[in-house]
Amino acid sequence: MSGRVIVITSGKGGVGKTTASANIGTALAKAGNKVVLIDTDLGLRNLDLLLGLENRIVYTIVDVVEERCKLKQALVKDKKNPNLCLLAAAQTRDKSAVTEEQLKDICEKLQKDYDFILVDCPAGIEQGFQNAIAGATEAIVVTTPEMSAVRDADRIIGLLEAKEEMESYRLLLNRVRPNLIKSKDMMSVEDVVEILSADLIGIIPEDTGIITSTNKGEPIVNDEKSLAGRAYMNVARRIMGEEVDFMNLEEETSVVAKMKKFFKGLMGKEK
Amino acid sequence: MDKGYIENGFIVDLSNARKTSEIIYELSRILDIPEAQNKQVCLKLGNVALSETELTSIKALVESMESEIEFISTTSPETIDSAKKLDIEISELENVVEAPDFEMEPNVSPEVETALDKIFGDNDFDEEEPEVKEMEEIYAEIEEDDDEETLEMKKEAEKLPTLYIKKTIRSGQSITSDGNLVIIGDVNPGAEVAAKGDITIWGILGGIAHAGKEGNTQARIRALKMNAIQLRIADVFARRPDGVNTPFIQKTNEFEPEEAKIYKKNIIINKLLEN
Repeated sequence: MSGRVIVITSGKGGVGKTTASANIGTALAKAGNKVVLIDTDLGLRNLDLLLGLENRIVYTIVDVVEERCKLKQALVKDKKNPNLCLLAAAQTRDKSAVTEEQLKDICEKLQKDYDFILVDCPAGIEQGFQNAIAGATEAIVVTTPEMSAVRDADRIIGLLEAKEEMESYRLLLNRVRPNLIKSKDMMSVEDVVEILSADLIGIIPEDTGIITSTNKGEPIVNDEKSLAGRAYMNVARRIMGEEVDFMNLEEETSVVAKMKKFFKGLMGKEK
Repeated sequence: MDKGYIENGFIVDLSNARKTSEIIYELSRILDIPEAQNKQVCLKLGNVALSETELTSIKALVESMESEIEFISTTSPETIDSAKKLDIEISELENVVEAPDFEMEPNVSPEVETALDKIFGDNDFDEEEPEVKEMEEIYAEIEEDDDEETLEMKKEAEKLPTLYIKKTIRSGQSITSDGNLVIIGDVNPGAEVAAKGDITIWGILGGIAHAGKEGNTQARIRALKMNAIQLRIADVFARRPDGVNTPFIQKTNEFEPEEAKIYKKNIIINKLLEN
């Protein structure tokens, strides 16, 4: 078995790399794949928090590299899904604690036992980024429909193209707000795709549920009612090679949104 | 209504519902279907007692989905009163056609239920406090059966030098001491402190602490407030249980000094002050 190593990167910070990693990883595992998530954001780790696994981390990737433990010992199993595990970053070290070769080596070892190895990349294009992409042959570039994020994504794509081993990269457009696109206050999906001339792997709508899910340590894909959760599920299916149509976000209004509207109306009446 | 049926409408049977939140949830789910819009709706509300405000909410919900309440049927006198005040027609009409039973319980996700219960208040929602095991008995059990080796270990901390730090240890910082460690300040989540001997934190311990890192099983970890993600003493390990949601802000004025130590190869935490 030779698993696929996919790096999730963006250049700009705060666009949702870690959220995407946690959700795509969970979604792939839910579909029956064996998945490892690697957090390479040394010193600023967050992926464990999003998965609610913070309290279980004993060994980190630095311990593996410095041979204080075996690779298997450092893999933290997810609470719900036995197919999913996390290789956490060290919080008390910096990016220089791991080298490109070491990361590549870890990815190669994991490839034997797992279907997917998702590497959560730190923001920026320095050593941390170079480490993260070292072992990967595929990339998902996360961006939001904002000029700054798109610019940075363009820079990242340039760097990915320059790397020989990188076979493909696809775009994940995050935090899309259909009503803002409609009123022409936000770049449309088509605009972003055109600027970056890259294939899309998913469109994730802005969803307040993400905040709650982050704080609770529970990826939003576990909530099948949530729009963003479903969008992430679709991304996972596309990664697995299925043809899935993109959701029409404009027509989708969830029950929750309707209820919100109704409560708002109610508040108005009371005044 | 006198015709025994309604034109351009349907009956929603919610008589299985036990509380307001379930009614609202089910109703919003049903009315969400496009076919259910622009219709006259009849509600069978069972015996749930609805106040005037609650009934207003339900009415508003139906209206927000472009439909209208034609009439309601209920067995609760309180709901009847509320309906009268709101000019909603009441009917004792029975379904001629048996409405399919939809199960209420599995559909309501706990989050939605809790959220709705918070809004409408709730009678049968009782948040059970996690059962706290009476620790006193265990403390009483801990006998001082010190053999020479443990006695030696117990005394070790007193002989070691102590590193004294007066600042807050933030995420990503790590402090290691070859003796004991005293921190006047907090240890934030994401920070790590480790010592060969005891660790004492005059503040909130929110990160990871490892006492007796070279194997002293008699080492202790003390903190004014114990919120640690993980505690380690010698080679024994304990983690914060899942599902414990500590508040976003851990700062507090209420301190409860606690001490962690090994008891029968597990880490136990006991209060240092008994009220």
